Amino acid sequence: MELQVQLLMNTLQIGSVYVLFALGLTLIFGVMKIVNFAHGTFFTAAALIVSSVMIWGVDTAGIPIWFSYLIAFVLALLVVCVIGFVVYFFGFQHVLKDLNGSFILSIGLLLLLNGTYLLLYGGVPRSIPAVVPGNVTFLGASLTIQRLLLMIVAAIITIGLYLLVHRTKLGLSLRAVAEDQEAAMLQGIPYRRVALYGFLIGATLAACAGALMATVTPVTTVIGDDFLVKAFIIIIIGGLGSVLGAILGGLLIALIESFGGYYFDPSTATLAMFVLVIVLLIVRPQGILGHAER
Amino acid sequence: MSMKKIIGITGGALIALFSAQTTFAEEILKVGVSAPMSGAAAAWGLGFEYAAEQAVEKVNSEGGIKAGGETYKLELHTYDNKYNAAEGAKTAQTMLNRENINFIVGSIGTAPVKATQALSERKGAILFNTGWGKSIKGPDYPLTFTQMNTPFEILAPFYGYVKEQHPDAKTVAMITPNDATGQELEPVAIDTWNNLDVEVISTDKYERGTTEFQSIATKIANSNADIVDFGASPPTDVGSMLKALDVLGWDGVKVVPAGTSAGTLSKMAGAAAEGTYLGASADFTGDSASDVQKELNAGAMEKLGEALNGITISSYDAVMALKKAIETADSIDPKKVAETLPTIVFESSYGPAAFGGADVYGNPQQILVPVMITQLRDGNAVEVGRIAPAELKERLK
Repeated sequence: MELQVQLLMNTLQIGSVYVLFALGLTLIFGVMKIVNFAHGTFFTAAALIVSSVMIWGVDTAGIPIWFSYLIAFVLALLVVCVIGFVVYFFGFQHVLKDLNGSFILSIGLLLLLNGTYLLLYGGVPRSIPAVVPGNVTFLGASLTIQRLLLMIVAAIITIGLYLLVHRTKLGLSLRAVAEDQEAAMLQGIPYRRVALYGFLIGATLAACAGALMATVTPVTTVIGDDFLVKAFIIIIIGGLGSVLGAILGGLLIALIESFGGYYFDPSTATLAMFVLVIVLLIVRPQGILGHAER
Repeated sequence: MSMKKIIGITGGALIALFSAQTTFAEEILKVGVSAPMSGAAAAWGLGFEYAAEQAVEKVNSEGGIKAGGETYKLELHTYDNKYNAAEGAKTAQTMLNRENINFIVGSIGTAPVKATQALSERKGAILFNTGWGKSIKGPDYPLTFTQMNTPFEILAPFYGYVKEQHPDAKTVAMITPNDATGQELEPVAIDTWNNLDVEVISTDKYERGTTEFQSIATKIANSNADIVDFGASPPTDVGSMLKALDVLGWDGVKVVPAGTSAGTLSKMAGAAAEGTYLGASADFTGDSASDVQKELNAGAMEKLGEALNGITISSYDAVMALKKAIETADSIDPKKVAETLPTIVFESSYGPAAFGGADVYGNPQQILVPVMITQLRDGNAVEVGRIAPAELKERLK
């Protein structure tokens, strides 16, 4: 029993970040109909900013660790929003609904941004101390308070996004554009503006995931790329463009990773994810909660 | 002065000047390094590049390498192989086909080394490497030389020492990356543990680039293994696993045969890393370190903030071996140099060293330097054992 609880806790720990990251990717696809291979660079940028600002804040400026983290978190989101705006303005707005164009553009951006991060931060992995140290035990399962906080914050952001998409005017516009762009425009919805908002929300979600993960894992200049592959698996499983699908897919992948990693080994669990994607593409290509192409 | 005389004097001066330039012209000999300069294993690549730079600087400042009546100054070219085969192949193409480099003085990672070797052997270039796979050596690969100790040199004395310190330890759980390095290390490790009457109760593999280790930590903690052997895992990954194990309350013996960067490990895992045994690290500040090692280590600490170790210092040794072999062969023909390498004794950072290992690999392609066993204490690697290879002792007699 304790073991199953521990594995479930592991699932939630891993899944919470996967969900956040994949939500951004699926939102961008849903609204703009593009594949963004540079999505991981937003995650990386936020993680790098958090690690460097925190090290500066605590070691050099003598600011309390929690306050340093707060400053770093906000700064990371702002910087990623600026990067997101720049790459949208000069790049993605010219390839809306163009899969080939967005593929080439995002691969180019990935190389450019990863190279820039390497130049600015160097290749050595960075590690920052836990903002809230200590462990907690729940039904016999152990986890760090830092991880628990991460899960709570990720859950709040996910619920917030769900409410934004389903309960606000902006969310209605995002869904309308995702459903049928031309019909949405005929209703007076400014497509390009909505696409920009969707892109910035997606980038911010990746930044949130990066800023949260920076406190629990070593940060490298390519850390976002590792999450990108998983995020693609998640949104293919959940259904491209589906918010609920991304949540479901994220938790499912985390479940496979956690239980598969325990009962088999991590490599087998990774293999199982790809097998699942292949099977799903054969039997239900639109994903679990995706809509079939009409 | 007549026009004839002016032309004669000018012509003579020009000929003299040209001859002098020809006599004193220094040739450039390009040497390459292919190592992970980014990602989880970047600490290895950066230290590796630093040690190679220092060796090149030393060789050049001491007049370069003399062979066949020419003097050669070394020029170092470093490439990021990201510790994977695809990037290893890419960097090999660049080094061997675009830059025409005939001497690779260091390559890290069995997968990228194998990718490089596929081209270097065909192109007739010498490949020094730190690859831990046995399959990269042998008569089929006469131009490949391993510049650091590998599992066949390290594991028996290393595990033996650990068992001696913890005689009650009966079980071990192994976790290692799922690539050529991990796959070739695992069977040797299992055999070695079994020979010491320690049972390997689980062997797990993970993909490089993994960031979440909770499930594997849960498995290890639940297995109640006395020892965890992290195989060929790089320090960043080991740090993440140790942190996860610590949260779960596991407190056994921690063993990292490929354990090198004590600083990185300590930074990543903090107190959870204390007491970890490292098989490829080194204490280059201690009494047993040579003056060269102390100097190199101090420079690396200042420049990179990370001490050197068995992997990173090996690029210095490769450059020194290359210099001695070229001068002994009196040629920069890679084939002649490769034939000469096993016959020489050269001055490595450890002191006199040589190439041997024909009994194990079928060809003398393995560097013979001491195996150093270290333990992480207060965040630093402290040398707890040093074993010199019997073959080297024999050669130095």
